[in-house]
Amino acid sequence: MGKKKIGFWGVPKPEIIKEYRLKYPNDEFVDLCMLHGAKKTSILPDTTCKIISNIMDNAIHFKDDLDVIIASVGQEKCDSGRFVSRILKDMGYNMVFSTNENYNDAPISIPISTSNLPLGEKITKITANIVEKDNTQYTYCKPQFGFWGVPPNDFEFLKLFPNETHVFGWTRCVEAGRPADTELEMYVDENLPTVFFAQTFCNKMQLAKYLAKKYGGLFIDVDDYATNSTKAKIQAYMRLG
Amino acid sequence: MLYIDAGTSFSKIMATNGDTMASLKPICESENKKFYIIRSSEISKLDTKFDGGTGHMSNDYLKDGIEVENEILALAYGVKKLRPELSTMTVLDIGSRDTKWVSFKNGKYKELDWNTACASATGATIEMLCKFYNVDAQTLKANKDKYPVTCGVFGMEKIMDEISKTKNVETAIAKYIHGIAFNAWNFAQKPEKIYLSGGFCESECFVKSLENYCEVEKLGRFVLVCGLEEQY
Repeated sequence: MGKKKIGFWGVPKPEIIKEYRLKYPNDEFVDLCMLHGAKKTSILPDTTCKIISNIMDNAIHFKDDLDVIIASVGQEKCDSGRFVSRILKDMGYNMVFSTNENYNDAPISIPISTSNLPLGEKITKITANIVEKDNTQYTYCKPQFGFWGVPPNDFEFLKLFPNETHVFGWTRCVEAGRPADTELEMYVDENLPTVFFAQTFCNKMQLAKYLAKKYGGLFIDVDDYATNSTKAKIQAYMRLG
Repeated sequence: MLYIDAGTSFSKIMATNGDTMASLKPICESENKKFYIIRSSEISKLDTKFDGGTGHMSNDYLKDGIEVENEILALAYGVKKLRPELSTMTVLDIGSRDTKWVSFKNGKYKELDWNTACASATGATIEMLCKFYNVDAQTLKANKDKYPVTCGVFGMEKIMDEISKTKNVETAIAKYIHGIAFNAWNFAQKPEKIYLSGGFCESECFVKSLENYCEVEKLGRFVLVCGLEEQY
């Protein structure tokens, strides 16, 4: 058995995160959306988005180490996340359901999304902040490009973007603490060449494709890892756009 | 200087500035340039290193320090080189295993896309079908009907069904080609005119099928390799 864990996905309410941190003080938090070396299971259909597949595969992989799974089941996640939470409960996992849909009117703060960090690092820090707030001061950069979307399964293709890339879409909503704010999710800088990314089979493909067309951006969908042609499209868009 | 666009089935080579491929016969020559076509499986026999390259198969055949160029960029720069007077256009390239296009408006980049994931229905499929049924692709007549080939496997099923019913192989393949043309036009965002690049320029069946939906101007098979000259 490894170190005991609290699994989670999406953006559970901070109060629930805090409650379970106190309940299991020696546990580590594991974001089940991410790759952790789990074997692929065949419980979900092949046409399931890779992030949701990761949740199921990781839950099976870590089963004996998981004290609890905190599942985002509101509009801040998706129907698939909600259904998987029910499947896992049925399979005997200790599940806690969280919805995170109501926010105050505090000004939106997104220092990481607009910082000069490499894009992959920006997204890693934003997701890490879900369980552990970090108060680092970030340096703003003037953007050359925009990246719209969710944290991808494959971080490799993010290396194609320069540090001067601002983050939009759901990832920006997560940093702002408003993960179900669709208005903020649909916001982009219309003067900025932007790549609109969604995981293949994720319903956010609808928004990504629509917004890419509306703002003259590039729509890409990636299932597990970005293909050479997807990477080439991004490179060509950056040089031609 | 030697440039290569090494596709999955065929490689297109351009020699400039007096360079030449001694073992190959040029397909055409113009402005101190010679153009060659060779099966990609034969490139290694040339024992040649190139000054620039694009395409799936070119990586092993470039001089030290030369990197493979992006195919969409090669296509974009190629059409600019060949047709500098065009400021608003869509150029579409259909290869053995993929379809890519880029459009410009008033001289500026507008949109692009590249599809390889569902590219079972492109040049290589037609080549295999024609070989399998012993049909000369050049003699195929365009057909007003088409198969839905969004999924190449379903399209193939339609061909098998038609052949088993009618025994008319040429008609079945022509309908399949019409389906590819319709798909390509949709994929390129339904432009009024397509500047066509790649091996399908030589298929009258494909060009006539595509003309059901838009005006077509053929640019030939050397667009990408011409674009390379601009990039290295």
